[in-house]
Amino acid sequence: MGEIGLLGFGPDGWGLVLAKAGLMTLAVSVAAFLCGLVLGTLVAWARIGGNAVLRALAEAYTVTLRGVPDILVIYLFYFGGRQVVAAVGTALGFAGPFDISGFAAGMLAIGLISAAGQSEVLRGAYQAVPKGTIEAGRVCGMGRFTLFRRVIAPQAMVTALPGMGNQWQSVIKESALVSVTGLVETMRQVSVAAGTTQEHFLFYAAGAGIYLVITTLSDQLFRLAERRSLRGHPGTGTGA
Amino acid sequence: MDVTFLAGMFQSLLKGLPLTLNLWLLSLAGGGCLALLLNLMRQSRVGNAVAGAYVFVFRGTPLLIQIFMIYYGLAGFGVIRHSILWPFLREPYWCGLLALVLNDAAYTSEILRGGLRAVPRGTVEAGRVSGMGRIAILRRITLPLAIRQALPAYSNEIISMLKATALVSTITLMDITGIARAAISETWRAVEILLCAAVIYLALSIIVTRLCGWLERRLSPWHFGRTTP
Amino acid sequence: MTTQTPALAVTGLRKSFGANEVLRGIDLSARDGDVISMIGASGSGKSTLLRCIPMLEIPDAGTVGVGADSLSPKGGRLTRGEEAIARRMRGHLGFVFQNFNLWPHRTVLENVIEAPLFVQGRPRSEARDEAMALLEKVGLAEKRDAWPAHLSGGQQQRVAIARALAQHPRAILFDEPTSALDPELVGEVLKVIRGLAEEGRTMLIVTHEMGFAREVSSRVVFLHQGRIEEDGTPAEVFGAPRSERARAFLSSHFDRNR
Repeated sequence: MGEIGLLGFGPDGWGLVLAKAGLMTLAVSVAAFLCGLVLGTLVAWARIGGNAVLRALAEAYTVTLRGVPDILVIYLFYFGGRQVVAAVGTALGFAGPFDISGFAAGMLAIGLISAAGQSEVLRGAYQAVPKGTIEAGRVCGMGRFTLFRRVIAPQAMVTALPGMGNQWQSVIKESALVSVTGLVETMRQVSVAAGTTQEHFLFYAAGAGIYLVITTLSDQLFRLAERRSLRGHPGTGTGA
Repeated sequence: MDVTFLAGMFQSLLKGLPLTLNLWLLSLAGGGCLALLLNLMRQSRVGNAVAGAYVFVFRGTPLLIQIFMIYYGLAGFGVIRHSILWPFLREPYWCGLLALVLNDAAYTSEILRGGLRAVPRGTVEAGRVSGMGRIAILRRITLPLAIRQALPAYSNEIISMLKATALVSTITLMDITGIARAAISETWRAVEILLCAAVIYLALSIIVTRLCGWLERRLSPWHFGRTTP
Repeated sequence: MTTQTPALAVTGLRKSFGANEVLRGIDLSARDGDVISMIGASGSGKSTLLRCIPMLEIPDAGTVGVGADSLSPKGGRLTRGEEAIARRMRGHLGFVFQNFNLWPHRTVLENVIEAPLFVQGRPRSEARDEAMALLEKVGLAEKRDAWPAHLSGGQQQRVAIARALAQHPRAILFDEPTSALDPELVGEVLKVIRGLAEEGRTMLIVTHEMGFAREVSSRVVFLHQGRIEEDGTPAEVFGAPRSERARAFLSSHFDRNR
């Protein structure tokens, strides 16, 4: 059977297995990105509107997570998570062995890393909103929530989207590192297949192909969203 | 807090520092040169397509796959095994370095491209109108302004490459992370070991960030509110 | 609605920015139908006074009243309860900024109906019809689907005036409405403001346009270093100013501009 057949969906083919691994990559990436979004919003909030202590903490958080290799953070959550679960488990009276799923470790680790980057994007986007438009909203009686919803968020979105697109791309690529925990996503699956069949180049190329598909589709989606958020801006030729 | 353990751990981990620094600095240097080349290639149509494809592939796939591809994947080709490159390409060090260089080149070339695009056309026109030739304009106006524009993004890239070097531990290299992994499988005190390693990387990244900030302030004092250089 | 409660009432207003005391005890009131021009040198506190009324700046001491509501904030901050009252007061005021401050992500029409819809909760069709009428009034009906970025300064300012009118304000506040405009665009905005004055709207205008102030106002107020030095009819203030400083200000202004 030809080498390409190994990628197919026949009985000897790894195609189905690779496809499932690709979906796992998407799953852990989405989960991590959403964690990052929630935490990143909180951190951005702390840096923008918090008191001095909160601001310092938020800044320390960002500096730390951007200065430590992602793989170390993943190891920390994986091994550390095991130790935590083990400690809690034995304290509660359960017997070993204890484990933490690679998915959970990966999602939390990458989520934490992404939150640092996302908070910077969100902070920059907020600062780019012209203060005059916020005043105009306040002066006609808008409350804080309405102001955020109708004036701040739509304008901040324009600045935030490209940055968030970059963050998403980073998360997809970082998800490959979760393979060290044994989670069967694309990287791991491709390694296993390569090792089993000794067709290293083929399978690593296939893996690269899967990532390229995911990143290209994501890029198109974000560009679409960016174009739509640009309504009214000079030079975009939209409307009227 | 087992201080003797931690102290001993730091000592062991720091033995990996030379390799980490080596890979870090060489990948930035090699990547920078290749990035310049890529940008020069973009002048022609074919070159632009090639450079574009290169950047697309290397920025769209994880570094880990690039490392494995070079270390494991290339070895499958007879033509490589019998070439003069083989003594290098079968060594994890050279494979790792190659992967890092190729990866950095893709990101750096985009940063450089952005910097060049951000040079205001008016400043170049002002140079032309004062009689400067093309090379003079490039040297006195375009490149200095492009570098100043690109500096914040490039300092991010420098830190990224530091973190990227940690991945070579997956192909048996004993950099800081490699030593940490070995230590974990020996003593199983994972969290302490990993935190020590993290501290070392954090220290390096903070030093670099400060240096880059200083450089930014020196090169563009007007951005930071200073009225005199 | 007439004259039982004044439209605007400011008493004993004080405001400092750090060590700089910008307002040193201001007393001012406006009845319905008054058109009051505020003039004075830069730094005299005119814009700060105007911005204190809708609580864009919070006074350190004194009272601001709009219709039946009033607030006496202390120390430059508002409590939660005071915030709610301030919001209600703002609903009765229209504010026109020097830099227009239109929302760039909304069309002209959307800018005008934004407050009626999302602050006052009026039904969309009613808000829309009224917005169209207001845009007609300021001469920009055909621009209703345009983006602010595609309009000239004068056009943007006229939209801003329509936006302020859409709230059915008891009084309209203008913060140097023509200072950011190219000279040839100033006239179209002044024309709209003159029209509003002739309708009997209550307005407070901070301006450098002396000729306009003289023509259109029912009262002129001259500020100097945080205090009101002159307060009277245009004839009184421009023709026979009592204070030395007012005289100096007016003569320098007229020498340069006439």
